[in-house]
Amino acid sequence: MFNYLIQGIFAGLIFSLLALGYTLVYGVLRLINFAHSEVLMTGGFAGYFYLHYTIGQHLVSGNIGETLFYIVTGVLISGVAGTVVAVAIERFAYRPLRRRNAPKLAYLISAIGASYFLLNLAGKEFGRYPTATSQPFDNHVVFTLWGGQISMYDFVILAASIVLLVTIDWIVSRTKMGRAIRAVAQDVETASLMGVNVNRTIASTFALGGFMGGVAGFFVAINQGVAYDMGFKPALFAFTAAVLGGIGNVRGAMIGGVVLGIVMFTPIYWLGQPWLEEVIAFSVLVLILLFRPTGLLGERLGRSA
Amino acid sequence: MSSLMARMKNMYTTLNAADARRICTAVAGGLVLALMTGPDGSITSPLYGVRESFLTTHVIGYIIFGLALGVLMTFRAKTKDGTWRRVRTTPRKTFVQMLAASRNALRTAALSLTALVSVVVALLFADFSGPPAPHKMSWHEIFHQFLFTRTYGYLLLVLALWFAIANQLFQLSDKRLRSFPKPALILGGLVVTLFLALCADPFLPARFSLNALSPASKHSMFHHWTTYFWLVLGAAIIIPWVFKRRPTGERRSSRQMVALTTSPSMRFLTYLIAGFVVLEAPKYLSTYWQITLYQQIGVFCLLAIGLNIVVGFAGLLDLGYVAFYAIGAYTTAYFSGSLPVQPPFHLNPFLTIPCAIIVAMLAGVLLGLPTLRLRGDYLAIVTLGFGEIIYVLANDWVRLTGGSIGTGLVSNFSIHLLGINYVWNESNPLSYYYLLIAILLPAIFLFDFLNNSRVGRSWAAIREDEVAAASLGINALKYKVMAFAMGASTAGAAGVFTAVKVGTLFPNSFVLQLSITILVLVIFGGMGSIVGVLCGAIILQWVPSYLNFHAYLGFQESDLYLYIGALLIVMMIFRPQGIIPSRRRLREFNDAEEGLGSADPLGAINQETPT
Repeated sequence: MFNYLIQGIFAGLIFSLLALGYTLVYGVLRLINFAHSEVLMTGGFAGYFYLHYTIGQHLVSGNIGETLFYIVTGVLISGVAGTVVAVAIERFAYRPLRRRNAPKLAYLISAIGASYFLLNLAGKEFGRYPTATSQPFDNHVVFTLWGGQISMYDFVILAASIVLLVTIDWIVSRTKMGRAIRAVAQDVETASLMGVNVNRTIASTFALGGFMGGVAGFFVAINQGVAYDMGFKPALFAFTAAVLGGIGNVRGAMIGGVVLGIVMFTPIYWLGQPWLEEVIAFSVLVLILLFRPTGLLGERLGRSA
Repeated sequence: MSSLMARMKNMYTTLNAADARRICTAVAGGLVLALMTGPDGSITSPLYGVRESFLTTHVIGYIIFGLALGVLMTFRAKTKDGTWRRVRTTPRKTFVQMLAASRNALRTAALSLTALVSVVVALLFADFSGPPAPHKMSWHEIFHQFLFTRTYGYLLLVLALWFAIANQLFQLSDKRLRSFPKPALILGGLVVTLFLALCADPFLPARFSLNALSPASKHSMFHHWTTYFWLVLGAAIIIPWVFKRRPTGERRSSRQMVALTTSPSMRFLTYLIAGFVVLEAPKYLSTYWQITLYQQIGVFCLLAIGLNIVVGFAGLLDLGYVAFYAIGAYTTAYFSGSLPVQPPFHLNPFLTIPCAIIVAMLAGVLLGLPTLRLRGDYLAIVTLGFGEIIYVLANDWVRLTGGSIGTGLVSNFSIHLLGINYVWNESNPLSYYYLLIAILLPAIFLFDFLNNSRVGRSWAAIREDEVAAASLGINALKYKVMAFAMGASTAGAAGVFTAVKVGTLFPNSFVLQLSITILVLVIFGGMGSIVGVLCGAIILQWVPSYLNFHAYLGFQESDLYLYIGALLIVMMIFRPQGIIPSRRRLREFNDAEEGLGSADPLGAINQETPT
């Protein structure tokens, strides 16, 4: 059972990273970025190619310095790739509509179009079969806790996501960019009157979310390999996590991810059917939307980040 | 000449950074298009596709295309914002008005152009009703397709149609026609019609051989009583038109011209042509096209008008529409006993149509009741999740659905009534097609009726402003659930037709991509406009089939969704209302863009907190 619990916590951390992208964009633009799954996919492929051309088929030594080097550079490269794609999505699928003040339905459809375009472009250029990624470290079990095995991979995810989540919390609540984001989230017009460059702030919001999404993609790629449609399911779960924590709320997304991971994976211990995790996540989503649509921590980015 | 130079110079000097950016974006778009149409890469050589797409000569063509597009867009923007606009003294005219008022040269040019378009249409029709290209052909070989006699039949048919319409619109040869004696004209018309019928007969050689009554000749035009029906009906329309008394020398005013295109007789003619195309034309298609017409076009038309109720009429974004389609199909499989779970009694697929409709409707209501209270974007993602869940259930709940290896054989439509025994089978694809039409046509008229009734008005009110609608006493939830359930039941009916035709169901036929495809049909055609949605479905389903059919065109089927994604973005940026928009929907888009009203299909502009 603890195995499932631990699995849930670490999957949940990845959902948290991805959920941040949804929550930030929702806070600022009041819409769901349907194309966020492709940010994860791009991050995954960037990580794949980086590891493929540096490590290739070789086995890495267990050296801690080498591991750290590959993880840090991989995270940076995937994050930057995710950032680039997220900003490109904002530039080509959202900004032309925003300039025209299009109805919300148009944004959603355009985002779905962007998602499909990127998804299938990746499928076309990189093939449509899942591929395993070269391992940057030896993924052995470090220790066992009440029957639950904690491996090297889990440690890496834990460390990296804690660093990233703390950083993003700091960026949103303390820096000038974060203040601009919160200001735009509260009131676009007033923010622009106060001298905030709204377009740039929105782009930076996408960039922040894209970085986190790209990093999440890197971790998914190491663990499960890459495929052109790897982004779809994690993105659906991450959205659920964002709603669970209160969409538009940064800390809510972090907590929501972990809670969702636990809620999704632990019951599999009793139910025994792995595919039921999706059914559970979906039921969680519907139940939250029915009974507490504002999520665990409430909604607004402006108020409670 | 000098004024032209001056204007060119003016254009050149008023170009600014925004224009340069626009042109660069268009060129980049051209390059993306080159990438999209280029060869595939693979994970071992990820740059192969990119390299092959950009290092060939035809990338120059794409760059030129992008440049032309960029210049065109710049031109449009510049003339729109007034920088390049000449002062217009007369109000702008429509195309028909311009034609009506124009001088002879322009009129002749326009007529030739429409004639040319008609000829191209005829050739295309001849091409896709002909045999497939056996191999990659060079261009002159492609024209061999046009050497069959039926080509000329189609050619004449379309030209005659064009002539009839052009004669009405432009009074092409009223006077000259009337100077002919009437009996000669009628006789001539009959001869032409006979010749047309002969030429359109694909089995002409067989007819003139000794074995003239071979089974093949049964398929000829003359062996359908309906041919005579259409001929008489067509003659009843066209002949009075040609001989209608009009004061000589009087040219119709442009307003009358425009009125003519919407007059009852014109509308009747449109219905007539549409009826002919829908009911008669399929008989002269090759088997491949008959199957495509049923499976790719007909079923998707049904799905599209169903989704149109949800997205177009009620303004709810449903991304898991395919789930209801799957439910309909699996219900059919259940009642024909081809699932691992046996039903209490077996049903003929005819009787499963109502069952599937009811089951899908129940699913729609069950999903809708809790989720339709939510904001529109939440609804989108909940339906997305629902579609995925249904797929997962079909794929993984092996004891119920048979899992990924598929269901058993689904029994076919059959009639055993009053001594009539008929079983639908593969060898006659048209039998399925006509059955589908028998569902599709009533559905179209029903939905059109609903949209113009109290229900449709309530949908429009909810779509445009839910709060205002509620304050007028409209029970928003009720009408939304109603739209959802109707859309779901339409998809359920479509599911029955697919299940029966394909025989064995696989979960992979009900993936999310299908939902997006159906959504694209609706959006491309024009949300809320039934004609538009039907046109969208026909065009977007026909084009890939056509490209697949003619392998020499080099279309890869796997790239289809790439184009669909790109099409969605492009439509949303340049023409969100679709190719044939519904008038009301167009106004809503315009209002929203000008910030008037809260004509937001997803509502919640003014609502900060969810309900």
